[in-house]
Amino acid sequence: MTLEIKDLYVSIEDNLILKGLNLTVNGGETHAIMGPNGTGKSTLAQICMGHPSYKIESGDILLDGESIIEKTVDERSRLGLFLAMQNPIEVPGVTNFDFVKAAIQTRMKKDEHLRIGRFILKFEKASEDLKMGKGLAHRFLNQGFSGGEKKRNEILQMKMLNPRFAFLDEIDSGLDVDALKLVGQNVTELKSPELGLILITHYQRLLDYIIPDYVHIMINGKIVMTGKEELINRIDQEGYDWVKKELGIEDLETKPYSLGTCPSKH
Amino acid sequence: MEMLNFLKDNPYLIAFDNIETINNANIAIKDNHLTFNKGNEFFVFLDNFDKFNSLNFTIKKEQDIKIYLITYQSRKIEIDYNFELQEKANLKIFTNFSSRRKTFLNANLKFTLAKNAKLTVLSALTFNGEVKLNETVNLNGLNATVDIDLLNVGGKTSKYYVNQDVFHNEKATISNIDNWLIATDQAKLAYSVSGSIQKGKEFSKCRQSNKGIMLSDSCEIMVEPKLFIDEYNVEASHGAAIGQMDELQLYYLLSRGLTENDARSLIISGYINPFISLIDNKEIATQLTSQISRLIRRKAYNE
Repeated sequence: MTLEIKDLYVSIEDNLILKGLNLTVNGGETHAIMGPNGTGKSTLAQICMGHPSYKIESGDILLDGESIIEKTVDERSRLGLFLAMQNPIEVPGVTNFDFVKAAIQTRMKKDEHLRIGRFILKFEKASEDLKMGKGLAHRFLNQGFSGGEKKRNEILQMKMLNPRFAFLDEIDSGLDVDALKLVGQNVTELKSPELGLILITHYQRLLDYIIPDYVHIMINGKIVMTGKEELINRIDQEGYDWVKKELGIEDLETKPYSLGTCPSKH
Repeated sequence: MEMLNFLKDNPYLIAFDNIETINNANIAIKDNHLTFNKGNEFFVFLDNFDKFNSLNFTIKKEQDIKIYLITYQSRKIEIDYNFELQEKANLKIFTNFSSRRKTFLNANLKFTLAKNAKLTVLSALTFNGEVKLNETVNLNGLNATVDIDLLNVGGKTSKYYVNQDVFHNEKATISNIDNWLIATDQAKLAYSVSGSIQKGKEFSKCRQSNKGIMLSDSCEIMVEPKLFIDEYNVEASHGAAIGQMDELQLYYLLSRGLTENDARSLIISGYINPFISLIDNKEIATQLTSQISRLIRRKAYNE
Protein backbone atom coordinates (compact mmCIF):
# COMPACT_ATOMS: atom_id res chain seq x y z
CA MET A 1 0.00 0.00 0.00
CA THR A 2 1.87 3.05 -1.27
CA LEU A 3 1.20 6.63 -2.28
CA GLU A 4 3.99 7.99 -4.46
CA ILE A 5 4.35 11.57 -5.59
CA LYS A 6 6.90 11.72 -8.37
CA ASP A 7 8.69 14.86 -9.53
CA LEU A 8 5.45 16.83 -9.33
CA TYR A 9 5.16 20.31 -10.83
CA VAL A 10 1.86 22.07 -10.11
CA SER A 11 0.63 25.54 -11.00
CA ILE A 12 -2.35 27.75 -10.37
CA GLU A 13 -3.09 30.81 -12.50
CA ASP A 14 0.40 30.63 -14.08
CA ASN A 15 2.07 30.52 -10.65
CA LEU A 16 4.24 27.47 -10.31
CA ILE A 17 3.69 26.26 -6.75
CA LEU A 18 5.13 22.74 -6.58
CA LYS A 19 8.49 22.42 -8.29
CA GLY A 20 9.59 18.84 -8.51
CA LEU A 21 8.17 17.37 -5.33
CA ASN A 22 8.91 13.76 -4.45
CA LEU A 23 7.34 11.86 -1.58
CA THR A 24 6.55 8.23 -0.88
CA VAL A 25 4.17 7.23 1.89
CA ASN A 26 3.63 3.59 2.77
CA GLY A 27 0.73 2.11 4.70
CA GLY A 28 1.29 2.44 8.43
CA GLU A 29 3.63 5.43 8.10
CA THR A 30 3.04 8.93 9.44
CA HIS A 31 4.74 11.78 7.62
CA ALA A 32 4.79 15.36 8.88
CA ILE A 33 5.27 18.13 6.36
CA MET A 34 6.40 21.44 7.77
CA GLY A 35 7.47 24.63 6.14
CA PRO A 36 7.02 28.38 5.96
CA ASN A 37 3.75 29.92 4.75
CA GLY A 38 3.10 29.85 1.00
CA THR A 39 5.52 27.08 0.28
CA GLY A 40 2.96 24.72 -1.25
CA LYS A 41 2.03 22.37 1.60
CA SER A 42 -1.73 22.77 1.15
CA THR A 43 -1.31 22.69 -2.62
CA LEU A 44 0.23 19.23 -2.25
CA ALA A 45 -2.80 18.00 -0.29
CA GLN A 46 -5.29 19.62 -2.66
CA ILE A 47 -3.66 18.35 -5.85
CA CYS A 48 -3.58 14.82 -4.48
CA MET A 49 -7.31 15.14 -3.77
CA GLY A 50 -7.90 16.54 -7.27
CA HIS A 51 -8.88 20.17 -6.62
CA PRO A 52 -9.91 21.48 -10.07
CA SER A 53 -8.22 24.88 -9.66
CA TYR A 54 -4.72 23.37 -9.69
CA LYS A 55 -2.95 22.16 -12.82
CA ILE A 56 -0.34 19.42 -12.96
CA GLU A 57 2.42 20.61 -15.29
CA SER A 58 4.42 17.39 -15.05
CA GLY A 59 5.07 14.48 -12.75
CA ASP A 60 2.70 11.88 -11.40
CA ILE A 61 0.77 10.70 -8.35
CA LEU A 62 0.63 6.93 -7.99
CA LEU A 63 -1.57 4.93 -5.71
CA ASP A 64 -0.33 1.36 -5.40
CA GLY A 65 1.66 1.91 -8.56
CA GLU A 66 -1.22 3.27 -10.65
CA SER A 67 -1.50 6.89 -11.71
CA ILE A 68 -4.52 8.71 -10.28
CA ILE A 69 -4.02 12.10 -11.92
CA GLU A 70 -6.76 11.41 -14.47
CA LYS A 71 -9.19 10.33 -11.74
CA THR A 72 -11.96 12.66 -10.57
CA VAL A 73 -12.14 13.95 -7.00
CA ASP A 74 -14.82 11.46 -5.98
CA GLU A 75 -13.00 8.56 -7.61
CA ARG A 76 -9.86 9.41 -5.64
CA SER A 77 -11.90 9.51 -2.45
CA ARG A 78 -13.43 6.13 -3.17
CA LEU A 79 -9.95 4.77 -3.89
CA GLY A 80 -9.07 5.67 -0.32
CA LEU A 81 -7.72 9.23 -0.29
CA PHE A 82 -8.98 11.64 2.33
CA LEU A 83 -8.29 15.30 2.97
CA ALA A 84 -9.15 16.89 6.29
CA MET A 85 -9.41 20.45 5.06
CA GLN A 86 -7.88 23.54 6.56
CA ASN A 87 -11.19 25.37 6.02
CA PRO A 88 -14.03 22.85 6.00
CA ILE A 89 -16.92 24.04 3.86
CA GLU A 90 -20.38 24.79 5.24
CA VAL A 91 -23.29 23.11 3.46
CA PRO A 92 -26.57 24.56 4.78
CA GLY A 93 -29.61 22.30 4.93
CA VAL A 94 -27.61 19.07 4.65
CA THR A 95 -27.34 17.22 7.94
CA ASN A 96 -24.11 15.57 9.05
CA PHE A 97 -25.98 12.29 9.26
CA ASP A 98 -27.27 12.39 5.67
CA PHE A 99 -23.89 13.50 4.38
CA VAL A 100 -21.83 10.80 6.08
CA LYS A 101 -24.44 8.18 5.24
CA ALA A 102 -24.30 9.18 1.56
CA ALA A 103 -20.49 9.10 1.65
CA ILE A 104 -20.50 5.58 3.06
CA GLN A 105 -23.19 4.34 0.69
CA THR A 106 -21.23 5.56 -2.28
CA ARG A 107 -18.40 3.21 -1.24
CA MET A 108 -20.66 0.18 -1.09
CA LYS A 109 -21.00 -2.44 -3.78
CA LYS A 110 -24.22 -2.53 -5.78
CA ASP A 111 -25.62 -5.53 -3.94
CA GLU A 112 -24.59 -4.23 -0.50
CA HIS A 113 -27.01 -2.47 1.83
CA LEU A 114 -26.17 -0.08 4.63
CA ARG A 115 -26.96 -1.57 8.02
CA ILE A 116 -28.47 1.54 9.46
CA GLY A 117 -28.42 0.46 13.11
CA ARG A 118 -24.74 -0.34 12.95
CA PHE A 119 -24.09 2.93 11.13
CA ILE A 120 -25.90 4.95 13.79
CA LEU A 121 -23.94 3.27 16.59
CA LYS A 122 -20.66 3.93 14.82
CA PHE A 123 -21.59 7.56 14.17
CA GLU A 124 -22.62 8.10 17.77
CA LYS A 125 -19.43 6.47 19.05
CA ALA A 126 -17.26 8.66 16.79
CA SER A 127 -19.20 11.72 17.85
CA GLU A 128 -18.75 10.81 21.51
CA ASP A 129 -15.02 10.10 21.02
CA LEU A 130 -14.59 13.59 19.61
CA LYS A 131 -16.91 15.20 22.17
CA MET A 132 -19.12 16.60 19.42
CA GLY A 133 -22.35 16.46 21.41
CA LYS A 134 -25.43 14.33 20.86
CA GLY A 135 -27.15 16.61 18.37
CA LEU A 136 -24.37 16.44 15.80
CA ALA A 137 -26.18 14.05 13.46
CA HIS A 138 -28.99 16.52 12.91
CA ARG A 139 -26.89 19.66 12.67
CA PHE A 140 -26.28 21.04 9.21
CA LEU A 141 -22.86 20.23 7.81
CA ASN A 142 -20.34 22.60 9.42
CA GLN A 143 -22.93 25.39 9.56
CA GLY A 144 -22.66 27.38 12.77
CA PHE A 145 -19.76 25.20 13.93
CA SER A 146 -16.90 26.80 15.82
CA GLY A 147 -13.43 26.50 14.25
CA GLY A 148 -12.60 23.65 16.60
CA GLU A 149 -15.86 21.82 15.90
CA LYS A 150 -15.20 21.98 12.17
CA LYS A 151 -11.78 20.39 12.63
CA ARG A 152 -13.15 17.67 14.89
CA ASN A 153 -15.89 17.01 12.37
CA GLU A 154 -13.23 16.37 9.73
CA ILE A 155 -11.68 13.73 11.97
CA LEU A 156 -15.12 12.25 12.61
CA GLN A 157 -15.61 11.85 8.86
CA MET A 158 -12.18 10.27 8.61
CA LYS A 159 -13.10 7.77 11.32
CA MET A 160 -16.33 6.91 9.53
CA LEU A 161 -14.83 6.58 6.05
CA ASN A 162 -11.71 4.55 6.88
CA PRO A 163 -9.39 6.05 4.24
CA ARG A 164 -6.13 4.43 3.15
CA PHE A 165 -4.18 7.69 2.92
CA ALA A 166 -5.23 10.80 4.78
CA PHE A 167 -3.89 14.33 4.48
CA LEU A 168 -4.58 16.41 7.59
CA ASP A 169 -4.09 20.01 6.50
CA GLU A 170 -3.40 22.20 9.52
CA ILE A 171 -5.88 20.23 11.55
CA ASP A 172 -4.38 21.87 14.64
CA SER A 173 -5.30 25.45 13.72
CA GLY A 174 -8.27 26.75 15.68
CA LEU A 175 -8.01 24.03 18.32
CA ASP A 176 -7.48 24.78 21.99
CA VAL A 177 -5.10 22.61 24.02
CA ASP A 178 -7.76 20.13 25.13
CA ALA A 179 -9.27 19.80 21.66
CA LEU A 180 -5.81 19.35 20.15
CA LYS A 181 -5.11 16.53 22.57
CA LEU A 182 -8.47 14.94 21.76
CA VAL A 183 -7.88 15.14 18.00
CA GLY A 184 -4.36 13.83 18.46
CA GLN A 185 -5.60 10.86 20.46
CA ASN A 186 -8.33 10.06 17.95
CA VAL A 187 -5.97 10.20 14.99
CA THR A 188 -3.37 8.12 16.82
CA GLU A 189 -6.02 5.48 17.56
CA LEU A 190 -6.64 5.23 13.82
CA LYS A 191 -3.02 4.45 13.05
CA SER A 192 -2.67 1.02 11.47
CA PRO A 193 -0.77 -0.67 8.66
CA GLU A 194 -3.86 0.13 6.54
CA LEU A 195 -3.50 3.90 6.92
CA GLY A 196 -0.82 6.27 5.69
CA LEU A 197 -0.96 9.72 7.32
CA ILE A 198 0.38 12.99 5.96
CA LEU A 199 0.22 15.77 8.55
CA ILE A 200 0.63 19.33 7.37
CA THR A 201 1.40 21.63 10.24
CA HIS A 202 3.31 24.68 11.37
CA TYR A 203 3.68 23.67 14.97
CA GLN A 204 5.35 21.09 17.12
CA ARG A 205 2.34 20.86 19.43
CA LEU A 206 0.32 18.61 17.05
CA LEU A 207 3.30 16.31 16.68
CA ASP A 208 3.42 15.87 20.46
CA TYR A 209 0.19 13.92 20.12
CA ILE A 210 0.61 12.30 16.70
CA ILE A 211 4.17 11.06 16.53
CA PRO A 212 5.48 11.10 12.97
CA ASP A 213 7.85 8.53 11.49
CA TYR A 214 9.29 11.10 9.10
CA VAL A 215 9.48 14.88 9.14
CA HIS A 216 9.85 16.74 5.86
CA ILE A 217 10.68 20.39 5.42
CA MET A 218 9.16 21.96 2.37
CA ILE A 219 10.45 25.23 0.95
CA ASN A 220 9.73 26.82 -2.43
CA GLY A 221 7.55 23.98 -3.66
CA LYS A 222 9.67 20.97 -2.84
CA ILE A 223 10.87 18.87 0.03
CA VAL A 224 14.35 20.08 0.89
CA MET A 225 15.11 18.10 4.01
CA THR A 226 13.84 14.91 5.62
CA GLY A 227 14.55 13.74 9.12
CA LYS A 228 12.92 12.62 12.32
CA GLU A 229 11.97 14.18 15.66
CA GLU A 230 15.18 16.19 15.93
CA LEU A 231 13.99 18.33 13.00
CA ILE A 232 10.75 19.25 14.79
CA ASN A 233 12.60 20.46 17.86
CA ARG A 234 15.04 22.54 15.87
CA ILE A 235 12.29 24.14 13.75
CA ASP A 236 10.35 24.90 16.90
CA GLN A 237 13.35 26.65 18.40
CA GLU A 238 14.96 28.28 15.38
CA GLY A 239 12.36 28.49 12.61
CA TYR A 240 13.35 27.79 8.99
CA ASP A 241 16.13 30.31 8.40
CA TRP A 242 18.84 27.83 9.29
CA VAL A 243 17.49 25.39 6.68
CA LYS A 244 17.56 28.06 4.00
CA LYS A 245 21.06 29.12 5.06
CA GLU A 246 22.37 25.58 5.23
CA LEU A 247 20.98 24.70 1.80
CA GLY A 248 21.56 28.08 0.18
CA ILE A 249 17.88 28.68 -0.55
CA GLU A 250 16.79 32.19 -1.43
CA ASP A 251 13.26 33.49 -0.75
CA LEU A 252 11.21 33.83 -3.92
CA GLU A 253 8.59 36.44 -4.59
CA THR A 254 5.22 34.85 -5.30
CA LYS A 255 2.30 36.47 -7.02
CA PRO A 256 -1.07 36.29 -5.25
CA TYR A 257 -3.50 33.76 -6.72
CA SER A 258 -7.12 32.87 -6.24
CA LEU A 259 -8.75 29.49 -5.85
CA GLY A 260 -11.76 30.85 -7.69
CA THR A 261 -14.82 32.63 -6.52
CA CYS A 262 -17.75 31.30 -4.63
CA PRO A 263 -20.80 31.91 -6.83
CA SER A 264 -23.22 32.35 -3.94
CA LYS A 265 -22.71 33.48 -0.40
CA HIS A 266 -24.80 32.18 2.49
CA MET B 1 -64.20 16.20 -7.31
CA GLU B 2 -60.77 14.67 -7.81
CA MET B 3 -59.60 14.36 -4.23
CA LEU B 4 -56.14 13.47 -2.93
CA ASN B 5 -56.44 9.98 -1.44
CA PHE B 6 -55.17 10.78 2.01
CA LEU B 7 -57.68 13.60 2.38
CA LYS B 8 -60.81 11.68 1.38
CA ASP B 9 -61.97 10.60 4.83
CA ASN B 10 -60.27 13.32 6.80
CA PRO B 11 -62.62 14.58 9.53
CA TYR B 12 -61.20 18.08 9.18
CA LEU B 13 -61.64 18.36 5.43
CA ILE B 14 -63.35 21.28 3.76
CA ALA B 15 -63.43 20.79 -0.02
CA PHE B 16 -64.86 22.79 -2.86
CA ASP B 17 -65.36 22.53 -6.54
CA ASN B 18 -67.82 24.57 -8.54
CA ILE B 19 -70.57 21.99 -7.97
CA GLU B 20 -70.24 20.60 -4.47
CA THR B 21 -68.92 21.51 -1.03
CA ILE B 22 -67.70 18.99 1.53
CA ASN B 23 -67.59 20.23 5.10
CA ASN B 24 -66.42 17.32 7.26
CA ALA B 25 -64.96 19.83 9.70
CA ASN B 26 -68.34 21.42 10.35
CA ILE B 27 -67.10 24.96 10.27
CA ALA B 28 -69.37 27.91 9.51
CA ILE B 29 -69.55 28.41 5.74
CA LYS B 30 -71.75 31.10 4.25
CA ASP B 31 -71.37 31.55 0.52
CA ASN B 32 -67.68 32.32 0.11
CA HIS B 33 -66.99 33.02 3.77
CA LEU B 34 -65.41 30.49 6.13
CA THR B 35 -65.30 31.26 9.84
CA PHE B 36 -63.03 29.35 12.21
CA ASN B 37 -64.08 29.75 15.80
CA LYS B 38 -62.55 26.62 17.28
CA GLY B 39 -58.94 25.60 17.23
CA ASN B 40 -57.78 22.67 15.14
CA GLU B 41 -56.00 21.49 12.02
CA PHE B 42 -58.06 21.95 8.85
CA PHE B 43 -57.54 20.83 5.27
CA VAL B 44 -59.03 23.10 2.64
CA PHE B 45 -58.98 21.46 -0.78
CA LEU B 46 -60.06 23.26 -3.94
CA ASP B 47 -60.51 21.49 -7.26
CA ASN B 48 -60.76 23.84 -10.24
CA PHE B 49 -62.65 26.20 -7.95
CA ASP B 50 -63.62 29.66 -9.15
CA LYS B 51 -67.30 29.76 -8.38
CA PHE B 52 -66.65 32.96 -6.46
CA ASN B 53 -64.06 35.66 -7.15
CA SER B 54 -62.78 35.26 -3.63
CA LEU B 55 -62.73 32.99 -0.61
CA ASN B 56 -62.73 34.74 2.74
CA PHE B 57 -61.40 33.21 5.93
CA THR B 58 -61.96 34.65 9.39
CA ILE B 59 -59.94 33.39 12.32
CA LYS B 60 -61.76 34.42 15.43
CA LYS B 61 -60.20 36.07 18.47
CA GLU B 62 -57.68 33.91 20.38
CA GLN B 63 -58.12 30.92 18.06
CA ASP B 64 -55.08 28.79 17.27
CA ILE B 65 -55.60 27.23 13.85
CA LYS B 66 -53.62 25.33 11.24
CA ILE B 67 -54.88 25.36 7.68
CA TYR B 68 -53.52 23.35 4.78
CA LEU B 69 -54.77 25.06 1.64
CA ILE B 70 -54.25 22.76 -1.33
CA THR B 71 -55.54 23.58 -4.76
CA TYR B 72 -55.51 21.63 -7.99
CA GLN B 73 -56.45 22.98 -11.36
CA SER B 74 -56.47 21.89 -14.96
CA ARG B 75 -57.66 25.19 -16.45
CA LYS B 76 -57.06 28.91 -15.95
CA ILE B 77 -58.09 30.10 -12.47
CA GLU B 78 -58.24 33.63 -11.06
CA ILE B 79 -59.13 33.93 -7.39
CA ASP B 80 -58.52 35.99 -4.25
CA TYR B 81 -58.02 34.57 -0.77
CA ASN B 82 -58.62 36.95 2.12
CA PHE B 83 -57.66 36.06 5.67
CA GLU B 84 -58.71 38.10 8.66
CA LEU B 85 -56.90 37.31 11.91
CA GLN B 86 -58.65 38.81 14.86
CA GLU B 87 -56.99 39.84 18.10
CA LYS B 88 -54.56 37.19 19.46
CA ALA B 89 -55.50 34.77 16.68
CA ASN B 90 -52.71 32.40 15.65
CA LEU B 91 -52.82 30.99 12.13
CA LYS B 92 -50.29 28.65 10.60
CA ILE B 93 -51.14 28.19 6.95
CA PHE B 94 -49.55 25.97 4.34
CA THR B 95 -50.41 26.68 0.72
CA ASN B 96 -49.70 24.54 -2.31
CA PHE B 97 -51.14 25.57 -5.66
CA SER B 98 -50.78 22.67 -8.08
CA SER B 99 -51.72 22.10 -11.69
CA ARG B 100 -52.61 18.87 -13.42
CA ARG B 101 -51.46 20.26 -16.73
CA LYS B 102 -49.80 23.39 -18.02
CA THR B 103 -52.14 26.25 -17.19
CA PHE B 104 -52.45 29.68 -15.56
CA LEU B 105 -53.10 30.85 -12.01
CA ASN B 106 -53.68 34.40 -10.89
CA ALA B 107 -54.07 34.44 -7.10
CA ASN B 108 -54.10 37.20 -4.53
CA LEU B 109 -53.54 36.23 -0.92
CA LYS B 110 -54.34 39.01 1.48
CA PHE B 111 -53.79 38.73 5.22
CA THR B 112 -54.98 41.28 7.76
CA LEU B 113 -53.74 40.97 11.32
CA ALA B 114 -55.20 42.60 14.40
CA LYS B 115 -53.43 43.29 17.71
CA ASN B 116 -51.18 40.44 18.95
CA ALA B 117 -52.17 38.20 16.05
CA LYS B 118 -49.57 35.78 14.74
CA LEU B 119 -49.38 34.43 11.20
CA THR B 120 -47.05 31.76 9.86
CA VAL B 121 -47.18 31.15 6.11
CA LEU B 122 -45.54 28.20 4.38
CA SER B 123 -45.97 28.58 0.64
CA ALA B 124 -44.94 25.84 -1.76
CA LEU B 125 -44.96 26.58 -5.47
CA THR B 126 -44.39 23.74 -7.90
CA PHE B 127 -46.94 24.82 -10.48
CA ASN B 128 -46.74 23.72 -14.10
CA GLY B 129 -47.53 26.76 -16.25
CA GLU B 130 -47.71 30.40 -15.32
CA VAL B 131 -48.40 31.84 -11.87
CA LYS B 132 -49.10 35.40 -10.86
CA LEU B 133 -49.19 35.47 -7.10
CA ASN B 134 -49.58 38.48 -4.85
CA GLU B 135 -49.09 37.96 -1.13
CA THR B 136 -50.06 41.03 0.86
CA VAL B 137 -49.81 41.24 4.63
CA ASN B 138 -51.26 44.13 6.59
CA LEU B 139 -49.96 44.22 10.15
CA ASN B 140 -52.70 46.45 11.53
CA GLY B 141 -52.49 45.70 15.23
CA LEU B 142 -49.83 46.30 17.86
CA ASN B 143 -47.37 43.37 18.14
CA ALA B 144 -48.81 41.59 15.11
CA THR B 145 -46.26 39.14 13.68
CA VAL B 146 -45.84 37.37 10.37
CA ASP B 147 -43.32 34.70 9.33
CA ILE B 148 -43.32 33.71 5.68
CA ASP B 149 -41.31 30.82 4.27
CA LEU B 150 -41.70 30.20 0.58
CA LEU B 151 -40.22 27.39 -1.49
CA ASN B 152 -40.55 27.74 -5.27
CA VAL B 153 -39.25 24.95 -7.45
CA GLY B 154 -39.68 25.87 -11.09
CA GLY B 155 -39.10 23.50 -13.97
CA LYS B 156 -39.85 23.10 -17.69
CA THR B 157 -41.06 26.43 -19.14
CA SER B 158 -42.99 27.52 -16.06
CA LYS B 159 -43.11 31.18 -15.17
CA TYR B 160 -43.69 32.64 -11.72
CA TYR B 161 -44.34 36.31 -11.05
CA VAL B 162 -44.60 36.78 -7.31
CA ASN B 163 -45.13 39.98 -5.33
CA GLN B 164 -44.81 39.90 -1.57
CA ASP B 165 -45.72 43.10 0.26
CA VAL B 166 -45.73 43.52 4.01
CA PHE B 167 -47.14 46.72 5.48
CA HIS B 168 -46.25 47.57 9.06
CA ASN B 169 -49.27 49.71 9.84
CA GLU B 170 -48.87 49.66 13.62
CA LYS B 171 -46.08 49.92 16.17
CA ALA B 172 -43.98 46.94 17.29
CA THR B 173 -45.01 44.76 14.40
CA ILE B 174 -42.66 42.06 13.12
CA SER B 175 -42.21 40.46 9.71
CA ASN B 176 -39.79 37.80 8.52
CA ILE B 177 -39.66 36.53 4.95
CA ASP B 178 -37.46 33.65 3.80
CA ASN B 179 -37.70 32.71 0.14
CA TRP B 180 -35.98 29.62 -1.25
CA LEU B 181 -35.99 29.61 -5.03
CA ILE B 182 -34.84 26.78 -7.29
CA ALA B 183 -35.02 26.98 -11.07
CA THR B 184 -34.20 24.44 -13.73
CA ASP B 185 -34.91 23.87 -17.44
CA GLN B 186 -36.23 27.13 -18.91
CA ALA B 187 -38.17 28.19 -15.82
CA LYS B 188 -38.39 31.85 -14.92
CA LEU B 189 -38.89 33.07 -11.35
CA ALA B 190 -39.42 36.80 -10.87
CA TYR B 191 -39.90 38.09 -7.33
CA SER B 192 -40.62 41.51 -5.94
CA VAL B 193 -40.37 41.48 -2.15
CA SER B 194 -41.09 44.61 -0.18
CA GLY B 195 -41.46 45.69 3.42
CA SER B 196 -42.95 49.07 4.38
CA ILE B 197 -42.77 50.70 7.78
CA GLN B 198 -44.74 53.88 8.03
CA LYS B 199 -43.74 56.92 10.04
CA GLY B 200 -44.49 56.54 13.73
CA LYS B 201 -44.60 52.73 13.62
CA GLU B 202 -41.54 52.51 15.84
CA PHE B 203 -40.07 49.32 17.37
CA SER B 204 -41.10 47.38 14.28
CA LYS B 205 -38.83 44.76 12.75
CA CYS B 206 -38.80 43.86 9.08
CA ARG B 207 -36.48 41.22 7.67
CA GLN B 208 -36.33 39.42 4.36
CA SER B 209 -33.93 36.88 2.90
CA ASN B 210 -33.98 35.52 -0.65
CA LYS B 211 -31.81 32.62 -1.74
CA GLY B 212 -31.84 31.15 -5.21
CA ILE B 213 -30.07 28.39 -7.03
CA MET B 214 -30.08 27.98 -10.79
CA LEU B 215 -29.61 24.45 -12.08
CA SER B 216 -29.50 25.11 -15.79
CA ASP B 217 -28.04 27.71 -18.11
CA SER B 218 -31.42 28.69 -19.53
CA CYS B 219 -33.37 29.29 -16.35
CA GLU B 220 -33.78 32.70 -14.70
CA ILE B 221 -34.24 33.92 -11.16
CA MET B 222 -34.78 37.61 -10.53
CA VAL B 223 -35.39 39.07 -7.11
CA GLU B 224 -36.00 42.68 -6.17
CA PRO B 225 -35.80 43.03 -2.41
CA LYS B 226 -37.14 46.39 -1.29
CA LEU B 227 -37.55 48.23 1.98
CA PHE B 228 -39.59 51.40 2.38
CA ILE B 229 -38.78 52.77 5.82
CA ASP B 230 -40.13 56.08 7.10
CA GLU B 231 -39.23 55.70 10.78
CA TYR B 232 -35.87 55.75 12.56
CA ASN B 233 -36.49 53.52 15.54
CA VAL B 234 -36.90 50.22 13.69
CA GLU B 235 -34.85 47.21 12.60
CA ALA B 236 -34.86 46.29 8.93
CA SER B 237 -32.74 44.14 6.68
CA HIS B 238 -32.99 42.52 3.28
CA GLY B 239 -30.84 40.54 0.92
CA ALA B 240 -30.74 38.28 -2.08
CA ALA B 241 -28.15 35.65 -2.99
CA ILE B 242 -28.78 34.05 -6.34
CA GLY B 243 -26.34 31.91 -8.23
CA GLN B 244 -25.37 28.57 -9.58
CA MET B 245 -24.33 25.76 -7.35
CA ASP B 246 -21.49 26.61 -4.98
CA GLU B 247 -18.40 24.95 -6.45
CA LEU B 248 -16.68 24.82 -3.06
CA GLN B 249 -19.59 22.92 -1.54
CA LEU B 250 -19.54 20.58 -4.51
CA TYR B 251 -15.80 19.94 -4.15
CA TYR B 252 -16.18 19.24 -0.45
CA LEU B 253 -18.86 16.62 -1.05
CA LEU B 254 -16.93 15.08 -3.95
CA SER B 255 -13.86 14.82 -1.74
CA ARG B 256 -15.85 12.46 0.47
CA GLY B 257 -16.63 10.17 -2.44
CA LEU B 258 -20.11 11.29 -3.47
CA THR B 259 -20.59 11.18 -7.22
CA GLU B 260 -21.17 14.56 -8.85
CA ASN B 261 -24.85 13.78 -9.38
CA ASP B 262 -25.33 12.66 -5.77
CA ALA B 263 -23.42 15.68 -4.48
CA ARG B 264 -25.56 18.08 -6.51
CA SER B 265 -28.74 16.35 -5.34
CA LEU B 266 -27.64 16.59 -1.73
CA ILE B 267 -26.87 20.31 -2.04
CA ILE B 268 -30.31 20.88 -3.58
CA SER B 269 -31.93 18.87 -0.80
CA GLY B 270 -30.22 21.30 1.55
CA TYR B 271 -32.37 24.02 0.02
CA ILE B 272 -35.55 21.99 0.20
CA ASN B 273 -35.37 20.01 3.45
CA PRO B 274 -35.43 22.93 5.89
CA PHE B 275 -38.74 24.02 4.32
CA ILE B 276 -40.19 20.51 4.30
CA SER B 277 -39.27 20.09 7.96
CA LEU B 278 -41.52 23.05 8.82
CA ILE B 279 -44.59 21.15 7.58
CA ASP B 280 -46.17 19.42 10.56
CA ASN B 281 -48.37 17.02 8.58
CA LYS B 282 -46.33 14.08 7.31
CA GLU B 283 -48.64 13.18 4.43
CA ILE B 284 -48.59 16.74 3.11
CA ALA B 285 -44.80 16.84 3.49
CA THR B 286 -44.45 13.52 1.62
CA GLN B 287 -46.77 14.71 -1.15
CA LEU B 288 -44.74 17.90 -1.62
CA THR B 289 -41.45 15.99 -1.57
CA SER B 290 -42.63 13.72 -4.36
CA GLN B 291 -43.91 16.71 -6.38
CA ILE B 292 -40.48 18.33 -6.10
CA SER B 293 -38.64 15.09 -6.87
CA ARG B 294 -40.60 14.72 -10.09
CA LEU B 295 -39.61 18.24 -11.09
CA ILE B 296 -35.91 18.09 -10.39
CA ARG B 297 -35.14 14.40 -10.74
CA ARG B 298 -32.13 14.05 -12.98
CA LYS B 299 -32.03 17.85 -13.21
CA ALA B 300 -29.43 18.23 -10.52
CA TYR B 301 -26.71 17.99 -13.09
CA ASN B 302 -25.96 21.37 -14.59
CA GLU B 303 -27.15 20.89 -18.16
